[in-house]
Amino acid sequence: MKKMLSLFLVLALALCAVTTVFADDITLDVIICQYGPNTNNWFERGGTGMDGSNFVEKFEAANPGVKLNLEVVSWNDVHQVVDTRIANGNAPDILNLDTFSEFLPDNLLLPVKEYTSDELFNDFFAAFMQDFLVDGEYWAVPDLASARALYYNVDILNEAGVEVPTTWAELEDASQAIIDFYDGEIYPWGIDMTTDEGQAAFAYYTWGNGGGFTDENGEWALNSDANVEAVEYAIGLVNAGYTNPNPATQTRYDLQDMFATGKLAMMIGPNQIPTYVKDKGGEINMATASLPANEGKTSASVGVKDVMMAFRDDSVEDQAARNEAIGKFMTFFYDPENYVGWVSMEDFLPAVNSAVEALVAANPSFEAWLNVLATCKFYPTSKAEWAQVRQGVTTVEQNALTGADVRAELDALQAEITGK
Amino acid sequence: MTTGINRHKWEPYLWLLPSTLLVSVFVLFPILIVFKLSFSEISQAGVVGGFIGFDNYVEAVNLPAFKAVMTNTLWWVLSVVIISTILGFIIALVLNQKFRGRKIARSILVFPWATSLVIQASVWNYIIKYEYGSLNNVLLNLGIIKQAINFRSSYQIEFIWECWVGIFVTVPFVTFCVLSGLQSIDVSLYEAATMDGAGFWHKLRHITLPLVKPSLTVSTVLNIIYVFNSFPIVYTMTKGAPAHKTDTMITYLYMLSFYERKKGPATALSVIGFLILCLCAGVYMMTVMRKEEQL
Amino acid sequence: MKRYPEVKKQNQRMFLLLILGIVLTLILMSLPLYSFDIGVYTKKSANTFVGDEKYIAARAEAEAVAADYQAQGFDVEISENVVERVNSKGKTTSLVTFTVSQRNSKNFWSFLGKDLPSATVLLIILILMALSVIFAVCGLAGSADLLHRYLDKRAMLLRDLAIAALIIAVLLIPVFILMNNVTFSRQLSLYSSDLITDGKEAFYARMDQFLFDGQMGENIGEVLSGLAIDHSALVWLMMPTLFISLLAAFSIRKGEIKSSLLRLCLYTFVIIVCVITLYPYYVMLITAFRTNAESLDMYFLHMFPTKWIWSNLTDIIHRGVPRFLLNSLFIAGGATALAMLCGIPAAYALARMTFKGKKIFLGYVIMSQMFSPVVLLIGISQLMTTLHLNNTLWGLMLINAAFNQAFAIWLLRGTFVSISPEMEQAALIDGCGTVGALTKVLIPMAAPGIVTALIFVFINAWNEYTVATILISTAQYRPITVGITQFSSFNMIEWQYMFAASLLATIPVVILFMTIEKHLTAGLTSGGVKG
Repeated sequence: MKKMLSLFLVLALALCAVTTVFADDITLDVIICQYGPNTNNWFERGGTGMDGSNFVEKFEAANPGVKLNLEVVSWNDVHQVVDTRIANGNAPDILNLDTFSEFLPDNLLLPVKEYTSDELFNDFFAAFMQDFLVDGEYWAVPDLASARALYYNVDILNEAGVEVPTTWAELEDASQAIIDFYDGEIYPWGIDMTTDEGQAAFAYYTWGNGGGFTDENGEWALNSDANVEAVEYAIGLVNAGYTNPNPATQTRYDLQDMFATGKLAMMIGPNQIPTYVKDKGGEINMATASLPANEGKTSASVGVKDVMMAFRDDSVEDQAARNEAIGKFMTFFYDPENYVGWVSMEDFLPAVNSAVEALVAANPSFEAWLNVLATCKFYPTSKAEWAQVRQGVTTVEQNALTGADVRAELDALQAEITGK
Repeated sequence: MTTGINRHKWEPYLWLLPSTLLVSVFVLFPILIVFKLSFSEISQAGVVGGFIGFDNYVEAVNLPAFKAVMTNTLWWVLSVVIISTILGFIIALVLNQKFRGRKIARSILVFPWATSLVIQASVWNYIIKYEYGSLNNVLLNLGIIKQAINFRSSYQIEFIWECWVGIFVTVPFVTFCVLSGLQSIDVSLYEAATMDGAGFWHKLRHITLPLVKPSLTVSTVLNIIYVFNSFPIVYTMTKGAPAHKTDTMITYLYMLSFYERKKGPATALSVIGFLILCLCAGVYMMTVMRKEEQL
Repeated sequence: MKRYPEVKKQNQRMFLLLILGIVLTLILMSLPLYSFDIGVYTKKSANTFVGDEKYIAARAEAEAVAADYQAQGFDVEISENVVERVNSKGKTTSLVTFTVSQRNSKNFWSFLGKDLPSATVLLIILILMALSVIFAVCGLAGSADLLHRYLDKRAMLLRDLAIAALIIAVLLIPVFILMNNVTFSRQLSLYSSDLITDGKEAFYARMDQFLFDGQMGENIGEVLSGLAIDHSALVWLMMPTLFISLLAAFSIRKGEIKSSLLRLCLYTFVIIVCVITLYPYYVMLITAFRTNAESLDMYFLHMFPTKWIWSNLTDIIHRGVPRFLLNSLFIAGGATALAMLCGIPAAYALARMTFKGKKIFLGYVIMSQMFSPVVLLIGISQLMTTLHLNNTLWGLMLINAAFNQAFAIWLLRGTFVSISPEMEQAALIDGCGTVGALTKVLIPMAAPGIVTALIFVFINAWNEYTVATILISTAQYRPITVGITQFSSFNMIEWQYMFAASLLATIPVVILFMTIEKHLTAGLTSGGVKG
């Protein structure tokens, strides 16, 4: 019976372990996604990545009365963590993610104007903010951005005697030349149609063929002729053997690794590629170009921007104080002194004007990227069906890889998305 | 099998109490919530709405990938459980022999069990990579092959690899279940049988199998459940790509819930999976336990 | 000393078999078993169609080269290959390739005396075979008509040596074949593609010596790049023929082939299982100590790190790994203790007592396992918020204990059922209470089963990942499984750190198991003595 007694003791003890809350302070739950190897160390309490200290401790020292319960979550788990919290009614106060529209139908988000000062609001890139405007309110602010471009291995292209392709036909010829010259030892072109990035492949090819996710009116137009042709072209590249062999499971990491070691001649990737190649010890001679487009079409750069958003919490009595605390977080985060360090650490592009000057001063190559960013097209993340579309186009591509008819697949997807 | 040592009618229930409490509070409660959710409307962000009857179930069964995923799941569970049970049983018989280095061999065999599935799956994912995988590296450097082989040239082959990793991590469990059963067998039973002139197969059928059966039952039932619910292997190696063709039910409902954001059908699917499992494990347990009572 | 005529006869037969096997092997070695297809010259001609000017010119060129080689006494032939293609502008292009090649076949004896690793192996095989015959002859002299148990120490030692020599010889044959593969395809391709440059000239000189008796001279580099090696299936016949000798030698010693064969099979099986099991850990180990760059060894150059990077370990220690390990230890240890405390009484009641609702309870417990934690997250998270156990190690510990109940109870029940209840009944009659009978009699007897259950619960709790990602939101409470995810982020996967951390996460569990393994056997013997 002793054992049972001790069991009950353990249970009772466990039940008594109640977390203490300081009544006077406001505690904000913050979830940040893990962008790179340094994210944890820069943000989390106890870390040393931010000039020997970390974001949480610096923020609390600068803003007495506001405590942060900040958590860095890996991209793999973040949706699971956030959705579980929402289902339980304890959504985080501030969330960093790549989309925000899925939270709109339930009216979960706090409008940006409620917590940002005019000064900060006007600091965000206006073009970015436009995408966060739904039903007359802004619902999120941009956290950071990255732009995608064509990276190519100069030496491989020179040896095989081909120019950087600017059209799809040139891309095919160049690929064939590389295959012939290297006996298939080197993949000419990298394609990533994996579950996490299939939407990017869709964007690269459809935007380069005058198509895209939506039409001029902003309505879903997934099964347009241009899109069908574009996806068929991409699948054709795979079937012709011009690409990495398993596009459905070879992620961008795999492509980056192959590129860094000279196994892949060309790939479309984010502006972090040079840093990545350097970290991997790669010694390749690379350059960037704009994405190839179909004959007679103009190519569009592809941009990705992530967001910060604040959630409503009706259980809090003093809403004004809470909003003020969230505002303090935002002001502190976007303060160039802190923000510049964060963005440049993981090689991202900024989303606020005030950071530009310092970043360009530190790294002149940033300016070229900022120009690219200005011409970038972005995913239609403000549309409520974006999450399904993103997954849907990936499924279409993966089905097409195993031989399904692209038009029929896209028709079905369009019907499913707009039928609702 | 019972000995009638009860002194009070309520005594057995007292013995069961701590376990019942623990399971009821920490497992039953979440299960009930899942049942409730499967009949509720759930928004794509996860906000739970009102009761909507069987709508979620209807939507789940009508999903385009439903059939393919069910077939995959069947193959996955059957191949992993059956192959690893046979392999595990053979390995346990061998490891129960006396030979030099037996202890080392046993310790080595526990490695796959002692490693987290996420890690295990990542390592195998890394091993079979075409471009810089370790398997190609080893085979090339040993001169066994002359050119790197693409070990994942189609999704069917990738699925077979996933099954292999499943088997790889399940075998030690079966082996040790059987071993623990084998070790409680009295050696004198074998000696007596040998005296009577019984051969290897005879002893296997009439002494080993019946006595190891309780352990084997446990491992099989639990394996069916664990393998069915196994998540990290498929998720790490292919994420179900291409287009759910390598998904099992559990990874599919995860994709459904967090990638496609159809949370209602995903929850319904999890309840369907639960019912299927209850049915399989229930039938298996009933037959086995009935036989056990007859012994 | 007793002498047995029939034993003498048997031993003589075995001796003859031994000699026969070795002679057969020697005959096999004299056959031309290796063929080398050597492309001595390749001419590629782009935009060339069969029959046009460029084609004729290229063909003439190839024929001139062939004639040149023939003049030197080499036997060469010409082959051609045409690839036609239509490019995006609708134009047909064609690529013609002429290859001048030479075939060269070798038997085993031609390897001897050449400066090749495989030649050394071959030499060792031959020496071992000779030694084996010598030992067998000496061992038989004067003792051939004796039973094994009457042999003196000297004769016994000689026979053992004969067997050992043969075993090694048999095992060296695949090594010989492997080495040829490594030298003639792997090393050669690494050298001719300039991926490795150290010792290239010496290597080429050796190849020239072996293939052309050193006649090729400066051309060797060009010639070797087109070499293809092929071994005939007869090579593998050497193994069974030598194996016949081995069996014969065994039988001289033991007089019993079957048991020695079984033993051999057992070891082979165990070794294969262990090698396959350890393989992923070898991968983990070498990757954990590689540099970031070398973890992507695209040309498969090295099977081991060229430099062991120990700083990978210190790097991950600075990134919180020791703290995560401690958390995991606390969670898994606590969960195991709790699961056992609740599970043993329940399993005991199920195994030994009669009561209504037994099956219902079993079904209930097993049912509790039928949802994957991934599905139950919402419920678990709600419960933990209600109990104020969110973001605590205690919460994770309780959840792990609860989720392993079914496991523990079922395993323990199985063990208890398989133990005969007589001893406990005796204890009960002696006046022990039920608790006494359980703790003093049954638990020591069931020790192996209990230890197994204990390990399983511990390992399950140690490896739990999904629930931990949801419940723990503070960095310092993370268990190791969640901690490892920080090495794969949006930008990159740091394979070397991930595997180093994985290694640290695996080692404690393995060590724990190894220590408990002793007790497992100890519990066994005590159980056996009492039984």
